[in-house]
Amino acid sequence: MSRVGLRTRVTAVFALGALALSVALAGATYELVRTSLLQERERAAVRAATLDGALVRQGLSGDEPDISLVLRNLEAGDTRRPLVRSNGEWFSRTADAGFTETVGPQMQRLVEAGTPAVQRVRLRDDPVLVVGVPLLDGVSYYEVTSLLELRRTLAVLATVLGLVALATTLAGAAVGSWVSRIVLRPLGDVARAAGAIASGDLSARVARDSDPDLDTLAVAFNAMVDEVSARSEADRRFAADVSHELRSPLQTLSAATSVLDRRRGELDGRTGAAVELIRAEVSRFEHLVTDLLELAKTDRPAERRPTDVVALTRSAAASRGLDPGAVEVSGTTDLVELDPRRFEQLLVNLLDNAAKHGGGAVRVGLDVRPDGLVLEVDDEGPGVPADERELVFDRFARGRAASARGGSEGTGLGLALVAQHVQAHRGTVDIADRPGGGARFRVTLPAPRLAVSA
Amino acid sequence: MPRLLIVEDDDRIRLSLKLALEDEGYVVKDVPTAEEGLAEQRTSPADVVLVDLMLPGMDGFDCIRSLRRLGDVPVVVVSARDDTHDVVAALEAGADDYVVKPVAVKELSARLRALRRRASGSGEDAPKVRRFGEIELRPEAGEVLLGDEQVHLTRTEFRLLCELADQSGRVLSRQQLLDRVWGYDVYGDERLVDVHVGRLRRKVERDPANPQHVLTVRGLGYKLAP
Repeated sequence: MSRVGLRTRVTAVFALGALALSVALAGATYELVRTSLLQERERAAVRAATLDGALVRQGLSGDEPDISLVLRNLEAGDTRRPLVRSNGEWFSRTADAGFTETVGPQMQRLVEAGTPAVQRVRLRDDPVLVVGVPLLDGVSYYEVTSLLELRRTLAVLATVLGLVALATTLAGAAVGSWVSRIVLRPLGDVARAAGAIASGDLSARVARDSDPDLDTLAVAFNAMVDEVSARSEADRRFAADVSHELRSPLQTLSAATSVLDRRRGELDGRTGAAVELIRAEVSRFEHLVTDLLELAKTDRPAERRPTDVVALTRSAAASRGLDPGAVEVSGTTDLVELDPRRFEQLLVNLLDNAAKHGGGAVRVGLDVRPDGLVLEVDDEGPGVPADERELVFDRFARGRAASARGGSEGTGLGLALVAQHVQAHRGTVDIADRPGGGARFRVTLPAPRLAVSA
Repeated sequence: MPRLLIVEDDDRIRLSLKLALEDEGYVVKDVPTAEEGLAEQRTSPADVVLVDLMLPGMDGFDCIRSLRRLGDVPVVVVSARDDTHDVVAALEAGADDYVVKPVAVKELSARLRALRRRASGSGEDAPKVRRFGEIELRPEAGEVLLGDEQVHLTRTEFRLLCELADQSGRVLSRQQLLDRVWGYDVYGDERLVDVHVGRLRRKVERDPANPQHVLTVRGLGYKLAP
């Protein structure tokens, strides 16, 4: 599930706020301007119509008046279209004949009853203003004015206001992004420091901030890291002490046992058997302590260096008596940045595991690419039941087969160490069925990423 | 019979190692402090020395440095510490090899054999005098000259230089060097090689920070260039 980040959300909220505000302002402005321009236009049209009406009335006051001539003599131009309705008949200039349809029946009744009227209608999609003035009994004067110019003015206004609203919205988004960056900057610092600490650098701290509100975070974070690193240091010292106290007596046991072992031929059978028991257990104890101390180093990062992983794999496989033909190498490179000591140990532990529980490894597959590697160790044993595939990587977990045998071999830590080495490289390890029977242990180690994305 | 000196403060470890290494054919002298070890080495020098790092009084690092000043006797650290920091510091002080307790006697014995093979000189395979820029290598005499001056190398450093010289410009990986100089047949600690190469550079390079002859080939190993 992917969630939208805080910065995006803050930016969006600022943008939406700016959008709402600017749209409201632009709308109100547009409406005010439109109303006021329209009223202005109406007043002007009414004034002009009244004036023109008076002129027409004058022209009609003579005998046998020619209405068409009177209308032609009006200086109305193209913007005003004068019309006269006399006793149910329309008179207009020749070019204006089509404009009579703009005068609706309701308006006609009103004007013929003696009331001046104003109406906005559409003529073939163009807005026009119709003003009606009663002249004489049975004669009324109408003037049709185009509002096209006004409509164009309003369209320009709407475009300008729209652009302003858009610009305001973008400015809002920019402000939101800027504000959120300022507010989140210390979080970025903390994330970087936490990343450095996670990869083993306990000296990483967050720089103090001049803003007292943000400084609280830096101070609290640094205090936490101080505490963690003090504890980690205490743990490290304890582990070092334990290590020394365990390794020293083991050295004595190991050396003394080798003296005894060398003279086994001179001992009677019972004593010889007892010496062999001691030798075997001392050896197991040595491995156990070494593995346990290795496991105790969970917090240590992998010491990566460019490593010829192919040569390393071949020599480790050879050291465990694997046939050179059983090592299958593919890929595009031999060199990978990894911790050679850890890699060698994890491979040897997988081979030892295959020897103990799977009758010995039959194939080691290695695919190396610049972005990481995949290592596979196959055996032809009974395989690992699906419900045990995670458990076997736990400390002191041993397969059922081992328990059935008495399980005296191994320390029970080999696969736990494998898991730890894999984790130190931020890789994965899993178990599958080998095609043809047996288990396949697969280790995937990605190449290191240099930066923690903030 | 080769003579071996053990400097170890833990009585039981000292005694058990003495017994086990006598079985391996060494004449063993054992002392509990660095001071006694140095006195012993002055009066009747051993062929190889085992040193613990945590010692009362003078510690193991100073003990190694003092032993180096006395001569180029091979020194093996036998320590319970396995921190990179300690390993590198001990090698920088002049130790030739480093093993972590508990070490099996067979393994320790193999390490000592490799060291003594090195200490007895590598004259058999490279008799000719060879030059690499200002560096002149005389395997027969066991000498190295930088310009006109003789350079004093420990036997491990000398062996390392000889192995690189034998390749005449080809690269040797760290594992190959561990095999040829230290006698590791399985994966060994590459820090041994890196620290010794660093020591070698400080002796045979005019500017060790910008080496002209003992070159690192990133990811692959080292080579010696003329």
